[in-house]
Amino acid sequence: MNDRWTAEQEASQEEPIKFDPEMAPAKPRRPFRRAAMLVAPVIGLVVMFGLWEFYVRMADIRPLTLPPPSRILRHVAQEPAFYWEHSWITIQEAALGFGLGLATALVVATFLAHSRFLERSTLPVIILVQSTPVAVLAPVFLIWFGFNIWSKVLVAAVFCFVPFVMNALTGLRSIDENAHELMRSVSASRLEIFWRLRLPHSLPYLFSSARLCLGLSLVGAVIGEMFAGSTGGLGNTARVGQSRLLIDQLWGSIFVLAFIGVGANLVLGGIESRVLRWHSSQNKAR
Amino acid sequence: MTTENHQSRDIVGEASSRAEVSLRGVSKWFIGRNDSVQALSGVDLDVEPGEFISIIGPSGCGKSTLLRVVGGLIPYESGTVKVAGATPAAARRSRQIGFAPQTPALLPWRTVRKNVRLLRQLNSRRATGAPLTDAESMALLETVGLADFVDSYPNELSGGMQQRVSLVRSFVLNAPVMLMDEPFSALDEITRGEMRYLLLDLWIRTNKTVLFVTHSISEAVMLADRVIVMAPRPGRVVHVETVNLPRPRDQSMEDDPQFLEHVRVVRRALQDVSAR
Repeated sequence: MNDRWTAEQEASQEEPIKFDPEMAPAKPRRPFRRAAMLVAPVIGLVVMFGLWEFYVRMADIRPLTLPPPSRILRHVAQEPAFYWEHSWITIQEAALGFGLGLATALVVATFLAHSRFLERSTLPVIILVQSTPVAVLAPVFLIWFGFNIWSKVLVAAVFCFVPFVMNALTGLRSIDENAHELMRSVSASRLEIFWRLRLPHSLPYLFSSARLCLGLSLVGAVIGEMFAGSTGGLGNTARVGQSRLLIDQLWGSIFVLAFIGVGANLVLGGIESRVLRWHSSQNKAR
Repeated sequence: MTTENHQSRDIVGEASSRAEVSLRGVSKWFIGRNDSVQALSGVDLDVEPGEFISIIGPSGCGKSTLLRVVGGLIPYESGTVKVAGATPAAARRSRQIGFAPQTPALLPWRTVRKNVRLLRQLNSRRATGAPLTDAESMALLETVGLADFVDSYPNELSGGMQQRVSLVRSFVLNAPVMLMDEPFSALDEITRGEMRYLLLDLWIRTNKTVLFVTHSISEAVMLADRVIVMAPRPGRVVHVETVNLPRPRDQSMEDDPQFLEHVRVVRRALQDVSAR
């Protein structure tokens, strides 16, 4: 009896200290703070549109100069088919331009990343493209491709190319030297090192330039529509609205373009947080 | 200064035919624009199969260069090197060398499981030998206490855990020769102490030939069968300390007078190097 008791006592003493959630200090509850953080992104927008609406009505601004946002939104809501048709044209041009710019940049950056000589000889060309206001190329593309979609796609692609190529090059180059040597220690081929080290390592760089290029591809598509002559797209509806004093159509086109830009950014953010789950930029504890 | 011979090996020729790694009069120069440095000068070394060799010396003594020459990662000018019965380049091509770099160098986009698999996936056509299966690799991860982290990403692990993954990864090829380039140098003292015995555990289980470069005298002595002391300008071997501590070794031996005596001798050899 006595023996057993001591054995039990020993056993209970040997029991490892466990983490008891009851013992941990309670996390301070600040419901207001949480709610405030969730609402915060909306506040800025509400304030901006509110001030706009308020100012236009109070100062009695002519709608031709600046219509109130409520009127623009109502107009867009009344013409869904019209805006959908032209949005689709612009989205196609921007998306194809984005893809073409990205694909070309990846191929070019891959060659440059493997040869310092190629990089040195190509960089001036890239800087030249970067320094040229590429919008002036729109009429040239019009001559080459005519009034079809490809003249606008090309403008958008040229806009996206430089940011993509510079970031891709940095990403492909700035690999972990120890990981590189590790792969060399088993005679990994250049192709294997590219697929398994350089390309994945460049993904965060590509995503950060993709954010920039989403906007740029829309700019390129719209500029293409305005300068390279076209019968459709939101750049075209905005231009027509301006020249025929269809002020609701001008501002409606602007609003829809902004909406497309925001939507595309949200989609990209969603893809990024899935693809870059491993990357420190995606840490939830931020 | 001459290289002290290993006691059990009085006939050099016989030893070298048995050796897993063998260097004869190996020299290596780094040619600069204004000056050239002799990184290795006439290095002779024979490592028996299953032997654990520590290489220690001040910065610039060529210990990392020696490792890279053996690994076939850089060329050398004169002498001969044999690794697992072949030239370093051939051994590298057939994946006969397991390498552990200075940092864990895990690929952040791969989980622990897939990081461990990496070397097996590379250059698999020309490779000879039998790499560990997934189940065997998992068993090694369990040995180093990472069973619960196989599906974690590297940025979710501590530095010590990352280094343990790196160690396991280097063993997964099941290569006969392991080259380790100060793998614990980035760790804190306590973690570093634990890693020694984990490495010894893996080594005893797998029975590999190890060349281990380090800056720490006690680490060098505790791990090795022989400690190679090197000196710079030109990089060369100045002393070979045979460690007669019994195996398996554990933390309790760190106060053993025999261990402390080996540490003292190696430290003396290193002091002689820097005094000159």
